[in-house]
This record gives sequence, structure tokens and C-alpha cells, in this order.
Amino acid sequence: MTSKVLSYKKYKFKQKIIPYIFLAPNLLIFTIFIIFPALIGIVYSFTDRTLFTFGNANFVGFQNYITIFNDPFFIKALWNTVGLALVTVPLMFVVSLLLAVLLKQPIKALGFYRATYYWPVMISAIVVGIIWQWILAGNYGLFNTTLQGLHNFFKSLGLVSSTFTPSPTLSDGRFAWIAVVFAILWSRAGYYMIIFLAALLSIPVSLYEAAEMDGANKFQKFRFITYPSLKAARTMVLILVTMEVFKIYPLVVTFTGGGPFRATEFTVQYIYKVAFQHYQIGQASAMSVIMLLIVTTFSGIIFFLSKRGEGQ
Amino acid sequence: MITKRFVWKVQIIATFVFLIFLVPVLYTIASAFKDMTELFSTTPTFFPKQWTLANFIHVLSIGDYTLYILNSLFVATTSTIIAIVINTMSGYALAKYKFKGATIIMIVILSTIMLPLEIFMAPIFKVITFFGMYDSLWAIIIPPAATPTGIFLMRQYLLTIPDDIIDSARIDGASEWQIFLRIIIPNAKPAIATLAIFSFMWRWNDYVWPLISIFSPKKQTLQLAIANLTGEYGTDYTSALAISVFSMIPMLLIFVTFQRSFIQGTVDSGMKG
Repeated sequence: MTSKVLSYKKYKFKQKIIPYIFLAPNLLIFTIFIIFPALIGIVYSFTDRTLFTFGNANFVGFQNYITIFNDPFFIKALWNTVGLALVTVPLMFVVSLLLAVLLKQPIKALGFYRATYYWPVMISAIVVGIIWQWILAGNYGLFNTTLQGLHNFFKSLGLVSSTFTPSPTLSDGRFAWIAVVFAILWSRAGYYMIIFLAALLSIPVSLYEAAEMDGANKFQKFRFITYPSLKAARTMVLILVTMEVFKIYPLVVTFTGGGPFRATEFTVQYIYKVAFQHYQIGQASAMSVIMLLIVTTFSGIIFFLSKRGEGQ
Repeated sequence: MITKRFVWKVQIIATFVFLIFLVPVLYTIASAFKDMTELFSTTPTFFPKQWTLANFIHVLSIGDYTLYILNSLFVATTSTIIAIVINTMSGYALAKYKFKGATIIMIVILSTIMLPLEIFMAPIFKVITFFGMYDSLWAIIIPPAATPTGIFLMRQYLLTIPDDIIDSARIDGASEWQIFLRIIIPNAKPAIATLAIFSFMWRWNDYVWPLISIFSPKKQTLQLAIANLTGEYGTDYTSALAISVFSMIPMLLIFVTFQRSFIQGTVDSGMKG
């Protein structure tokens, strides 16, 4: 064998392993810090491991799962989270789609509106929590002051006669829960708007022109051209919002702290408490597994529904 | 037909929505410039009657907020550099090489989106401790640098680079590393810029990684420090509002400068990490 053939073989081999070398750092990090923890999380959920168990923990079967489903605080956090997803996901879908449609109209300063609607996306969830807590704070926050102003205005018109009573804002559980939904919408709608907007802008104008010639009205154009063209974007937005809502945590840390009386305590916050304040890694992992199952189920349903819509 | 009247109506709605996005931020910033008595006045005004820097001076004099800001800057910058290198490498491999297992690797990468750190905090904490990274800034620099979004963004962009350039370089005898450094990186600049901005924002705004990895007060990041100002016994607004403004400033600067790449990046990747 000549040296040329040898070096060609070496070259061929190098060509083969090069892509794996390029992928190695990322795959290594994913494996160590994401996939491996998820797998050992499943193992932990069947053991009595605590934060300070360094050797082997004892296998306890489904004990952790029995414990957490008898834990009223976990059940409450779970319902809070599922409820939040059921309310926030459709709302975010509609709001961001409406914003995208709004910013596709031929109005002045489009770039300015697109940028400013997007801006809250860049504020950290921690600061978003501070902003909205400050607006809703006490009887004299911006929210109650505005309400009072409106009340006085209507009073001067003779429409109301009662004296103004400030809204309880965040000290009322239901109000706080709705406020969390609103804060999520406010801080994230700009992001999903851009995804929809990109899809909207890629629809060929000729489609609309043809429909116009056939005498289609605005609603028909939306129903038969715009909406079907957004299929990929719709699925993507639904999945991303679902993931986002199920892992909500930093926002509530500074906004409501999970209160009042756990009205806005969601699963991630409770998992954190159980793992790092009660040191029950086994139980926390069981909760993680349940969460993973729920997230996968929700995403699966979205995939299934969007696949089924394909035939239309 | 689009009438002038219709355009005006839409313009008014768009402006109203703009106010919903603007007013909360503006009110928070304006409040940070109010002194104590105005901040907690029973007859509040939107803008301060008397603008003062007292809250900013106060917050920088108590505690180590300068240090937290520096920590956050260090983490965001370092992590972003690492993210650019490793995600561009992976994106390149997936875009330009044919190899066994490419599809499976792509599926694995995309499925990591479904395994959010927030849900698996406890085992991730154990892994970080195992590698001796607990209470080290590297724990919040290295693991989050690998993002499926980053890989996906780079891959999509690198697909648009013609294979001819790479092949002709190969014929000229360039090694694979030379091709990567001299051809791929310079040609991928727009995508790299987008990734850099996103990565910096994610790390600057990050809360959960620092929360589970950092213990020493001196190693806190800005977001951790802000979160610590709120608690069961109410929020220290004088400090919280001023420090929130500090948190928003770099983002505002980046946003104003790179607004185009930002929005284009969201369009290209359509994901977040």
C-alpha cells in the first residue's frame, strides 16, 4: 500500500468523525445536564432520597406518588397550574394572533409599534413581577388610583353615588390569579406576535388578490386564506406557550410570592419548596415526573389536533 | 377596499395597545426617581414632582449591588461566547455534513426543549453538586450555553451557505477546522449576532439556574438579588424599583441598537431556549 492510499484512508476517516467532534460539546452538556438529570429524576422518584443523602437511597416503590397525591398543597398547585394553562394558552394564542393581524395593516410607524410591543419580552420575569406588584400595590398604586379617578369621573356625571372602595388587588386570591394571567400575556404576547407576523408576511399577496376578485369579504379572507396558512406557526405557538405556562415560576416569585394563601402557587414553586426547603428529593422528583407526563400529554394533544386538521 | 377611515381606526387601536405596553414600564421607571414621601403618598402622581437620584444612590450604597451587576455581566458575556462557539459548531455539523445518526441527534436536541430545567431542578442540583460546580458561577455559565434554540437557529442559517464554497476550499487543501474558522464563521455573522443577543438576554434575565446553583451572597446575580428584595414581609420598593431600572438598562440599550436582528431572530428560530 502506498502512503497516498493510507493518507486518503486517514482523510476519509477524519471526514467521518468530524461532524461528531463538532457536535460533541453540545451533546455532552445536553446529556450531563438535561437528559441524565431527567433519567435519574425518574429513579429518585421511587426512593426516599433527601437533599443530604449522598450514598444509596432506599427503594420505596410508589410511596412518593401516594404521598404527593395525598398532599393537599401539591393538589392545589397542580390544579392552579393546569387551570392556568387552560386559560392562558388559548388567551395568549388569540391575543398574539390579533396583535400580529393588527400590525399587518397599512398604518403609519409599523416598525415602531412592532418594536414597542416586543419590548416587554426583554424584561426579566423577576422585574416584570416587580413592575406589576408596584402597579397593584396597596390602595394607592397606579391601579387603584386609576380606578378612583374613573369613579370620581362617573360620580361627577351622576352615574354612581357610592363612595370609592379600593380594590383588594393582590390580597384577593382570585384577583391575584387573574393578575398572573394578565402579567404573562403582557410580558410574552409580543414574542408570539412576531412568530405569527413572520408567517403572515410570508403569505403571497396574490392569494388575497385572487380572493378579492372572487368577491371574498374580510372575514372570508381570514377564514380561508390567513388562518390555514398559519398552521405551522399556530402549532408552534401553542406548544411553546404550553411549555412556558407549565414552567412558570420566576414571575410569581416577585409578583405574588405564590400567595395569598397559595392562590397563585404553581407546581414548579412547590417542587422547589419540597426539594430545597423540605429536602424531600424523592417526593420532588415524583412531582417532576407527574409534571413531565402532563406536559407531554398536553403537547401530544396539540400535535394530534394539528395533524388531524391537516386533512382539511 | 382599505379606506382612510379604516386605517385611522386601526392606527388608534395600535396606539392604545402601545400604551398598555408602555405605561407600566414608564410608571416603574418614573417611580424609581421619586423620594420616599412621594413613593408612598396617598395622592400619588404618575411622574415625580421632584426628580431625585436618592433611590439609585441608596441601592448602590447598601449591599453589593455593584458586585451583583458585575457577576451578571460576567456570566452573560462568558456564557454567550461559549454558546456562540458550541452552537455554531453543532449547527454546522447538522447543516453541512451527512453522517450516521444525524436525524436521531436532531430529534434528541429538539426533545430537550420538552425537559425544562424548572421541572427537574432537584436532580439537576444533584448533578451540579456531583461535578463540584455548586456555588460556582460556571454552573450558570456552561450548562445553559448549550441551547436547542441556538443550534436550530445556526443550522437554519448555515443551510443557506452554498456547498460550493466549502467544497472548493476543501479542494484547495483547507482542513475542516480552517473551513469552519475562515469560511463558516465569517459567513454566519448575522446569525451569530442574533444568537449573541438572545443568549446575552437569557443569561442576564436568568433566575432559576442561579437559584439552584448559587449559595454565597457574593456570587449572587442581579436577578437573584432583586428577587431577595421581595418576601413575606412585603417588598422594599425604594431599592426594588431602582435596581429594576438597572436590570432593564442593558436590555434597553441592546434592544434599541439591535432591534432588527432581534425581531428577525425570533422570526428565524421561532423558539426560545
